[in-house]
Amino acid sequence: MKCPVCLEPLESYVNMSSHFLSENEKSEPGHVMFLNRYIYKMRIGKKDLQEKLEGFFNMKDGFRGWIIKTFINRFFRESPHPFIIENQHPKPYLIRGYAIEHHHFLWQWVRSCSYIIGNSDNDDVVQYEIENITSEWYGTHDTPSHHELLLRMGEAYGLTRSEILNSRPLPATEAAIEFWSSACKNLTWQEGMSAMHSLELIANRKIIEYGGKYGYFDPSIMNSPEINAEAKEFLKEGYLADVSHSERALIIISRHSDMDTLQNCQALFMRSIEYFYDYLLARIERGHLLENKQ
Amino acid sequence: MKTNNENGCGLCDATWGEYFREIDGDNMVFCCSICADIFQEMVKRVKENTGWKSIDYVELHGNYSKGRECTARSGNDNFSYYFRTYSDGKFITFEKR
Repeated sequence: MKCPVCLEPLESYVNMSSHFLSENEKSEPGHVMFLNRYIYKMRIGKKDLQEKLEGFFNMKDGFRGWIIKTFINRFFRESPHPFIIENQHPKPYLIRGYAIEHHHFLWQWVRSCSYIIGNSDNDDVVQYEIENITSEWYGTHDTPSHHELLLRMGEAYGLTRSEILNSRPLPATEAAIEFWSSACKNLTWQEGMSAMHSLELIANRKIIEYGGKYGYFDPSIMNSPEINAEAKEFLKEGYLADVSHSERALIIISRHSDMDTLQNCQALFMRSIEYFYDYLLARIERGHLLENKQ
Repeated sequence: MKTNNENGCGLCDATWGEYFREIDGDNMVFCCSICADIFQEMVKRVKENTGWKSIDYVELHGNYSKGRECTARSGNDNFSYYFRTYSDGKFITFEKR
């Protein structure tokens, strides 16, 4: 297993508890924030902390079940992510911010998928990632890619294609894509896949069934004039595609991994969703920056 | 400067960590340097908005996900505001309420 904050290899939850207490003595922000957000807000001793860490990482519902539960808790349950709240009925500023920052996300996405292919010798992994790269970036003769639909959505809301393609990512997006690039390039394909494909749960149609307060967006917007046809087309593609993408990836990881590998994947997932959290905030910030420029 | 967070960190009230920083002449305790950065920037923005020289008390409600609804007090004057930050402490929103 690895520390879910600094990815230091650890042998057991006893070690993990000692490691967190040692980092806590230094008031190290990442470790302190992890304890506050995920474990317990009040300081506790080594044994209690060990039990709480074991409880948090317990995969009694399997790896896929744990990822889904943790992701839903972080983004959709008691305090849903601000982007999710705003995306229920997205305003033009939000869609413009989405278009620019997500262009950078997708640019890195297909490169991360390629690193995963390079690190794996499993055919089902290679097939899955090639399908993913095709649908996200290249499309087919009959179907435009998700990236193309994103550009069309941005254009429909007043951005030019070159404005999107020539933009620089905001710092939070840049930090996130650097992390995803490094994780997929340098770690095992299972860790890379866990870091990337778990994020597709964000648009999973079963989120409310899994316990989320909201879905990715309020489905009523698909039948109302509040967003235009290009936005509907973009959101619909992701909404339909991501159910199979995200959950299929988690099944593939489980199929090829022992317990130690899955525990490492849990750590990568935790790091990844922290970057993803800030990346989604960057969509909002970008929207406000564009609005203030007008 | 006092806050309603009496258990631990001046910003989030967590009792993990122990990081001290002088804010307006008071040695305040936070859980980490990022909470201290956020609090310091918040104080600066309140002063910019109000013209106050000092702040006596801040009432904070919310969390990292929701953002924080706050009321600052200086003498008999109050100022209500809302703010949200990235996880590194950088401000995204600071609004008068």
